[in-house]
Amino acid sequence: MKKIGLIAITLSLIPLLFGTPVGAKKEVNFFLARYDGLRPEYYQDLNRAFSEANPDIDLKIIPVDWEVLHDKLVTAIAGGKPPDLSVIATRWLLEYLDMGIVEPIEKYLTKDLIANIEPAAMEARIKNVLYALPVAVGPRFLYYRSDIFKKHGIAGPPDTFEEMLSQAQKIHNPPDLYAVGMTGKKFHALTEYTYYIYENGGDFFEINPDGSYGKCRINDEAGVGALSFMNDLVNKYKVTQPGVTGYSQDEVQDLWASGKLGFILIGAYTDVVTRQRGATFEWDYALMPHFAGKDRHTLLITDSIMMFKSSKNKEAAAKFLEFFYQDEWRLGFDKQVGFPPVLKSVGKMPYFQAPIYRAMVNSMPGAKGWPLVAEWEECNDIIWNAIGATFLGQKTPQEALDEAAAEIDEIRRGE
Amino acid sequence: MVMNKNIGLPPERKGAFWTTESTLAYFLVLPAIAVLVAFMFYPIVYVFLTSLYKTNRLGNLVKFIGTDNFETLFSDKEFWEVTIRSVIWTVLAVSAKTLAGLVIALLLNVDFKGRKLARTLVILPWASSVPISAMLWLWVYNYMFGLLNYTLEITGLWKNPPHWLAYPLSGFLANLYVDIWIGIPFMALVFLAGLQTIPKELYEAAEIDGAGSFTKFLLITLPQLGYVVFIVTLFSTIWTLAMFETAFIITQGGPMNSTHLFSTFTYQIGIALGRLGEGTAISLFMFPILIVLMYLELRYVRKGA
Repeated sequence: MKKIGLIAITLSLIPLLFGTPVGAKKEVNFFLARYDGLRPEYYQDLNRAFSEANPDIDLKIIPVDWEVLHDKLVTAIAGGKPPDLSVIATRWLLEYLDMGIVEPIEKYLTKDLIANIEPAAMEARIKNVLYALPVAVGPRFLYYRSDIFKKHGIAGPPDTFEEMLSQAQKIHNPPDLYAVGMTGKKFHALTEYTYYIYENGGDFFEINPDGSYGKCRINDEAGVGALSFMNDLVNKYKVTQPGVTGYSQDEVQDLWASGKLGFILIGAYTDVVTRQRGATFEWDYALMPHFAGKDRHTLLITDSIMMFKSSKNKEAAAKFLEFFYQDEWRLGFDKQVGFPPVLKSVGKMPYFQAPIYRAMVNSMPGAKGWPLVAEWEECNDIIWNAIGATFLGQKTPQEALDEAAAEIDEIRRGE
Repeated sequence: MVMNKNIGLPPERKGAFWTTESTLAYFLVLPAIAVLVAFMFYPIVYVFLTSLYKTNRLGNLVKFIGTDNFETLFSDKEFWEVTIRSVIWTVLAVSAKTLAGLVIALLLNVDFKGRKLARTLVILPWASSVPISAMLWLWVYNYMFGLLNYTLEITGLWKNPPHWLAYPLSGFLANLYVDIWIGIPFMALVFLAGLQTIPKELYEAAEIDGAGSFTKFLLITLPQLGYVVFIVTLFSTIWTLAMFETAFIITQGGPMNSTHLFSTFTYQIGIALGRLGEGTAISLFMFPILIVLMYLELRYVRKGA
């Protein structure tokens, strides 16, 4: 009898290993990317406010660093436990569509919400189907040290990269000040090179007549010219911080915020970060320079919130989106991350008439994002390797980009 | 005469299946077995399968391709670079940890004032979490704000020190040093424990015979410690070959994949780039090496026992 009792107790304890059910609440898990400048208090308050307004929904906002967000999502998806919603870089959308895990989001949202979103931000609308809701949109532009400019008698920011080089040579004063911040360390986003290739009239892929992406063209004159110029800044004119291959974008931003750089090409969040860190130097903003004789095409980055097909509580998840996209919460979000608002109603507010927002608005014409291809993460990886090999003097820009283009074409052919 | 085979053994209890002691034992062990099967055997089997299949980005097995993943790997120059680098890493790290651990153990075996404090300080790197230690060293190596360059500059030892993590060789050595720093305490402690089991009489007898310190070390300490050194070195080799955190946190395998080891390369290919089949093939490449090392380990442990 004793033994039967012991066995019964053992068996009854086993379910405890797997947790107990959470009552009748609908669970919504949301992976929120940790934007620079976004304070934990913001999403804690958001969570609290939504939970009070919706006691039947158990919302979990899970902050995730951008550096690991893609890998974390891949692991969660492969493990069969993706969140209900996640912030994604919109460039990842094709990869997830390829996996068949994306739930088209429009049918869960009100028409008022959709109508209140800036059309230019709807990068996740593909063949007229909206797959994800834009959460952050930002053109990249130039920050420069206006105090250093005054000191050297430089009238204004550069219009072209050639002018930037000339000004960089005047202000470069290591180790107190490095003229140009340059990212050379592999990063989840292919920044830097994109600025230079786009502003040199280049692109990543040829466009086929039907609008699809064709052969990789980073090794054409524009692409090689862009990388050659970057390499010259680093190794010929030496106007960047040393050891560029040891600096990711975040680390270059740290240098800027600590007053060590004269120029940085980056996004709006750097303004917020610089203020949060109590910088005492003066800075200003300007359009991203372009190469002389080329049209201006700055990089436009959009992030979106995607709903997963596997979500068991899609309506509850949509309820959270409707809550989050109220002016009050979007204003708080946009102020902290520094991006211009995606909502038309918020864009009209006085706060967003400041100079930095004017700079971003002026950057929008001609701005374009990264190509939306399913294999973009691999292309990203290959191109970063090419950039690094060039900076380290292991290959010339032409060699590095020829190899990279060949490898990218091979991957896209599925070989 | 029929011999009672059960002399000395408790009588087998007859009764219902549920009431025998051995059945109860199986029941109580069942949850542990289930966990072992779920979290150890099943993943190993799945890894084998995945390496033989083309997978989609979700990790689902799509098409049986036999050894294609291995052929892709073996024809990849980068894979062989990672292999050679991992071997060099392991040889250098284990040698340094063993040598430094032995030296520190010998020093700590001497009776001096503050020995207890010294022993506590020695164990600190190993007692801290590896990721935290790696993050600490990431900041120590920082070019602008790191303690290393600051110290080199203000002491005049190196007026313009490099960015340690920006170049392939210095990045590799930076990772290597941290791995050695973390691993030395364990080696030192185990060697110290081994030293303390060596009978003092052996040293006394040697002194009487006129043996000097070096002779005593060579002819008494090393042979007596030989078994311990071998076992611990094998342990260290297995851990070092499979090391992930240090390289991942400090350099993420960069710059330009030049500091990737097996484990970080597996992560890069399998998880970051979604090529799970190739990723599992890399991990399986390590498998026979680790199996051989573990077999040697077990064999010598049993021998020693």
